[in-house]
Amino acid sequence: MRVKRGVPSRKRRKRLLKQAKGFWGRRKNNIRRAKETLIRALAYAYRDRRQRKRDFRRLWIARINAAVRPYGLSYSKFMGSLKKAGVELDRKALSEMAIREPESFKAVVDVAKSGLN
Amino acid sequence: MKTYMARTQDFDKKWYLIDGEGKTVGRIATQIANILRGKNKPQYTPHADIGDFVIVVNAEKLHFTGDKWNQKTYYRHTHHPGGIKSITADNLRETKPEQIIEKAVWGMLPKNKWQKKLITRLKVYAGNEHPHAPQQPETLEV
Repeated sequence: MRVKRGVPSRKRRKRLLKQAKGFWGRRKNNIRRAKETLIRALAYAYRDRRQRKRDFRRLWIARINAAVRPYGLSYSKFMGSLKKAGVELDRKALSEMAIREPESFKAVVDVAKSGLN
Repeated sequence: MKTYMARTQDFDKKWYLIDGEGKTVGRIATQIANILRGKNKPQYTPHADIGDFVIVVNAEKLHFTGDKWNQKTYYRHTHHPGGIKSITADNLRETKPEQIIEKAVWGMLPKNKWQKKLITRLKVYAGNEHPHAPQQPETLEV
């Protein structure tokens, strides 16, 4: 029997265009243009899922730094002293505390300060 | 719990007043840049605009360490051949004293669309007077 290849090809390309929704200009309608952009998009997505973890850590560090400065500490002194004091709160928890519960955060700062002398 | 994300509309803009008399340019420029960006707040969010306004008075009485008044040179180019112009910090202070601190802060802001936006929130005055009394600026010791 003769194999006709139009059907699976059409199906494959339609699937591609479905993923290309929201692209700019021809890249959302034109199969050839969409294909390359899609390959890139998936590569960026893969990379950025890994980078997201670093990006957030950087953000938490910037926030903790902003939060401890009024108490006369720098981020680095603060974290160093917490480590010595055996406090195991991570950066995410600390930065959220500084925003939502400034009182409790102050208690942590006091622990860090007492360890400095 | 998801990391807190600030929204621009949730924050009121505050005004800070800084007296430039005898202050070292770079030292106060870093602090100003941080306030403009909102990096002094624990809610700092890169995509949200939660920075405040800063007023600097007595900009002509700022201080440079070393011999920078004579040595530090500001360059610009007119885009014509041989069109490089330069002015020393000392001369700039005499003609446009506000620009010294403006240029210092400008260089410390992020090099993207925020740079142009945030610099407009910095108000610099050579003398002791400023027209922003209705904004009730809070005096900031730096």
